[in-house]
Amino acid sequence: MNSASLPARFGKRMLKDKYLYLMILPGIVFMVLFRYLPMGGLIIAFKDFSFRKGIWGSDWVGLENFKFIFTQNPDFYSIVQNTLVINLLRLIFFFPFPIIVALMINELRGKRLKKFVQTTVYLPYFVSWVVFGGIIMQFLSPTGVANQILQLFGHKAIPFMQEAVYFKGIVVATDIWKNAGWSTIMYLSALTAIDQEIYEAAKIDGASGLQTIFHITIPGISDTIVVLLLLQIGAIMDVGFEQIYVLCKPILYQTGDVISTYIYRIGIGNAQFSMTAAIGLFQSFVGLIMILLANTACRKLFDKSLW
Amino acid sequence: MVRSNCMKKNKIKLSYIIIVLFVLFFSILCILPFWYVLISSLSDPLLLKTGDVRLLPNGFSLQSYKIVLTERKFYQGFLITMTRTVLGTALGLTVQAMTAYVLSRKYFQARKLCISLIIFTILFNGGIIPNFIVVQELGLIDTIWALILPMVFNPWNVMLLISFFGAIPDSIEESAKLDGANDFIVFCKLAVPLSRPALMTILLFIAVRHWNELMDGVIYINSNLLKPMQVYLIELIMRTSVQNMVEPTENFVTALSIQTTAIFVSCIPILILYPIVQKHFVKGIMIGGVKG
Repeated sequence: MNSASLPARFGKRMLKDKYLYLMILPGIVFMVLFRYLPMGGLIIAFKDFSFRKGIWGSDWVGLENFKFIFTQNPDFYSIVQNTLVINLLRLIFFFPFPIIVALMINELRGKRLKKFVQTTVYLPYFVSWVVFGGIIMQFLSPTGVANQILQLFGHKAIPFMQEAVYFKGIVVATDIWKNAGWSTIMYLSALTAIDQEIYEAAKIDGASGLQTIFHITIPGISDTIVVLLLLQIGAIMDVGFEQIYVLCKPILYQTGDVISTYIYRIGIGNAQFSMTAAIGLFQSFVGLIMILLANTACRKLFDKSLW
Repeated sequence: MVRSNCMKKNKIKLSYIIIVLFVLFFSILCILPFWYVLISSLSDPLLLKTGDVRLLPNGFSLQSYKIVLTERKFYQGFLITMTRTVLGTALGLTVQAMTAYVLSRKYFQARKLCISLIIFTILFNGGIIPNFIVVQELGLIDTIWALILPMVFNPWNVMLLISFFGAIPDSIEESAKLDGANDFIVFCKLAVPLSRPALMTILLFIAVRHWNELMDGVIYINSNLLKPMQVYLIELIMRTSVQNMVEPTENFVTALSIQTTAIFVSCIPILILYPIVQKHFVKGIMIGGVKG
């Protein structure tokens, strides 16, 4: 092998694969423009950014923005706390739910029934949070369905959407309602990949229903569970903007405001770009660290990992 | 012996019944919101306001449909959303499918590098503010392109498609190439038709994202003429713009009725598209796509 001919060979391959390179070009351009350029734009977290001076012309301020958010911005701790609590509740209540439902759907006999259930539980995922949140707010309003049921049992009406105590619970519950059904599809497609002969063999060996679930079905989807769990852990600092923006009214900011809604309101609304970009960088960075840590832990403990 | 067998059978049946009941309960819970908006929008607006519409329509009125469908702001938003969805889906699906096809070819030199770059965008992102600045610097603010171009590339979809295109046997591609086809022709004539379920699934994903996206409309669009439907809807639901919409002569139509009607009309395209694509779902999704 002659090292001098390496560039030449490389060029020859490139020429041979020219259509492949042409086909991937648009994807690379869009990825660089809208994924990597913004990452570069994060340098404004270390600057005092103004649109007049532009990214390059704005003055460097070092870690001032971070110092400010950690020591002088009381909102910061409250939005981080709200974000973390909502995500921990999600991890506890949302995460197992689709696994259980998928196992149940898997047990269903009768193609029609299975089809009906799958079709219906996926549906709410496909409407927007504006629509779903709008309906939820009508359900939970003082004259809504929820309060009519409460009153049927002689209970007083509760203004669900106006009291801080209920907010985080409502966020997690409505998230399960809207999205957990769809999440079953990952597990269901993993379930179809399990070799049916193993079930036959277990049946012949006299394994009970529960035994097959614990020894065949759950191990069969454990890869999927691990992957989705790791991704969920990586998103621990991230509560989607839309759900909170729709559900959270100003009187509930204390308990309901999360990082993304705060960045939008203060960053874009009040033009505090650098300070909120610093919060955003902190958020992305913690997310990255979390997923790397969780991935390493998973590899050591269960010999499973994302990559 | 016989007795215990019998009991066991009963026990299995009971647990099965519990499973069926639970799953059906969840199913019904998932359709309930759609049923609720449908009957509410069709009911007598005044009865709706006093909370007298429960599981069945009460009274019948199409008045609010008449108002919503003739409201300029609504159909303007509807048209903007329709435009961004059609353009965005066509562009997004083409770019993502081509990217994924190239990266599914094991002999492609830059394969590993490109896949790593894509996975990194899943793990780390610039966030709201830098995205806003990029869109601003590109001069896209207050244009429909601000709603389309940032969503053209999607790492999740590309990863999912790579695993699908990767499942196409090499021998098919090789024989086509022996017949003189280049990579682009192989992609169009072989890879795309063979991956139809996956492409249909991704098509629905992209289209629904566009249809439902609220955040970019809120952040990138200030002009009233360009506001997408979701932005109009949230203003209708959360704020007090209903008052401005209802003419004094139409006072008998309540805000609640107009809201539910607008919500239902906004869902109609999804309710039409969903059953067509839905049958491809389980085939179209494999965990291999999530696992990079």
